[in-house]
Amino acid sequence: MDIKINEFKKVITSPVIIGLLVLFIIFNSIKIIENSYFKDELKVLNKIVDRFGYKIDDEMINRFKEYYDEQIEELNNKIVREKNSKEYNSISEFYADHKYDIEEVYNKEEVEFIEELGIMEAYYNMIWKIDDFYSSIDIMDRAESEILKYGLSGKAANIVRKQYEALNERFHQLVNNNEHKNLFFIGKVYKMHSLLFRNILKTIIFEIIILVVLITAYLVNYEFDNSTEYIVYSTKKGRDLILDKLQITMVSSILAATIILLTGLGLYFIVFDYSGLWNVPISSYYNRDYNFPYLSWWNMSFIQYLLFSIVLVYLITLLFNGIAFIIARAIKNTYFAFFVFAIIFGLFLTVPGMAPRDSITIFIGGFTPFFLIINPHMWFMESGAFTTFKHYELATVGIWALVLLALGVLSINKFKRQDI
Amino acid sequence: MLIVNNVSKSYGKFSVLEDINIEFTNGVYGLLAPNGAGKTTLIKMLTTLLFPNEGQILYNGTDIFSLGDEYRNILGYLPQEFGYYKNYSPRKFLQYLSALKGLDKNAAKKKIDELLELVGLENVRDKKMKKFSGGMIQRVGIAQAMLNDPKILILDEPTAGLDPKERVRFRNLLAELARDRIVILSTHIVSDIESIANEVIMIKDKRILYKDNLNNICKILEGKVYETEVAFDQVSSFRNKYFSLSERQEDNKMKIRFISESKSEDSWNSVNPSIEDVFLYVYKDEVIKEE
Repeated sequence: MDIKINEFKKVITSPVIIGLLVLFIIFNSIKIIENSYFKDELKVLNKIVDRFGYKIDDEMINRFKEYYDEQIEELNNKIVREKNSKEYNSISEFYADHKYDIEEVYNKEEVEFIEELGIMEAYYNMIWKIDDFYSSIDIMDRAESEILKYGLSGKAANIVRKQYEALNERFHQLVNNNEHKNLFFIGKVYKMHSLLFRNILKTIIFEIIILVVLITAYLVNYEFDNSTEYIVYSTKKGRDLILDKLQITMVSSILAATIILLTGLGLYFIVFDYSGLWNVPISSYYNRDYNFPYLSWWNMSFIQYLLFSIVLVYLITLLFNGIAFIIARAIKNTYFAFFVFAIIFGLFLTVPGMAPRDSITIFIGGFTPFFLIINPHMWFMESGAFTTFKHYELATVGIWALVLLALGVLSINKFKRQDI
Repeated sequence: MLIVNNVSKSYGKFSVLEDINIEFTNGVYGLLAPNGAGKTTLIKMLTTLLFPNEGQILYNGTDIFSLGDEYRNILGYLPQEFGYYKNYSPRKFLQYLSALKGLDKNAAKKKIDELLELVGLENVRDKKMKKFSGGMIQRVGIAQAMLNDPKILILDEPTAGLDPKERVRFRNLLAELARDRIVILSTHIVSDIESIANEVIMIKDKRILYKDNLNNICKILEGKVYETEVAFDQVSSFRNKYFSLSERQEDNKMKIRFISESKSEDSWNSVNPSIEDVFLYVYKDEVIKEE
């Protein structure tokens, strides 16, 4: 145990690692605060959900409509009529008349009421578009456009078609379940899914990877960097120390990931209020922040999606820990190992793209941790030609875990029979 | 007993040691050879850091690599390039190494205090080592090698950086320790070995050239080492004729210690050969090459 504690102390007393950790926490905090200017607008949805729930069914629609009509009436009776003796059927109409003068004509409380009602109206109006939107979606058309986008043909194109056929089944199930008919922050306006998963979480993942590679290379090469390898590896513990080092790099990597995730996501959920929305299906129509809606392979709520993503981040952390361990073991210098990792990272993203577009080899490059971390906002979902496989994430993690385990064992055995 | 049995070591096509055979029992062994002759390679094999390409190293009849931690448990090693952690104090550094050496925490604490006193670092035991002189660092290195009370103590250039007083103290310490353990001392500083080594091992041309006690090794040059005074203008031609071991000015003449294979002249004084003479004679080609 003493040996492990000593190894752990090496990590937590490294100024580079601690400095980077602090820097990343500050960076993430700035990023979240920078995007928080609309956080008060989001609270309107919390109020709506408090009143009607998030599930859009006939009863909810009726109640929502009733309330919305009341609010429009209130707008007309209490605010508008006495000032410009006119009546509006919607806030949109009202805004058409008051493009620039709202704040001059109405007091602060009235403006707040108008703005809140405007947001509510946006949520309300979208309800009526859902059915039309989903009936216009043709998953197989989507498959063909993906095939065309990447110039796929032959076996490669057939694989994409096959995966999208499976997705098509799931799509119909999703629509039958009414997973799409749930209120959530309007993606087209606020892009909350992209902010959380594509922006914040992706940044967090890259930060974790930088820390994991540094921690692993630093600890594995600590003796070589300090010229103590002769003393250390000739002690009773000897080269078995590499196993303790591996365990401590795993623990330290998980710890670093936890700190970055806790501080980053912690601040995010303090700033943005998701109360009442945790159980909204991730495939909600409202969540769509670009043209195509998010279609998850399973019926997952937002919180389930978030938790699965966090679990996946931890698994990815361990995969990169393994990759860094194997590189650092081969290259006995911390910073050079980091440099080599960066090159390997680049190669894994670029080389697979050179595979023939009509062969199944084009898909191999997608099943790597390097590719996996590029689109965390599309994990467990329809995600384009190369990664729309139901078990894409699990397969990538599983295959790489086995490969890295085998390479790790070889690397350790080689170290035990290697000249120092 | 530690036996090196037909051991050869090469790095790729570059052979460093060939067919090495040595037996070590308790006592001090001086491994004497110029830099680059393979001393450190031999030592790193004895400490399991390098693997021989051929042959075996046996401790009490068992291969040291098969013994693994059992062998390393009785090993103390001070490498030539002794690395340390600059921000650690000697006490902390020794505590760290005692954990790696599998020592009990409380026993290690006591042992560390004893050793730091022995090497004269008791007053700076909690000071960071980044402020230490080379000699102080070397003493930390000696202390760490002795932490586990090793049965085999291997020291590669241990007196480098020590002042003459520390060097004497260290030699006495080794002589004391060697009563019940194997001490292997690698050095190219002849005086280190002269005073304490029971046996001297000399490596030349990748092989063991001599392994014997000092007296027997010095006998190689018996009757061949002389001293004489030479006029300054004749020094150059004298050097060309004989192998000069040392020279110093005395009474407007040059007093030269040299080797002559042929019969002595009247003006020459025959002197007893020292291990330094043997070293210079054996490695004369290497010396010339280095110059």
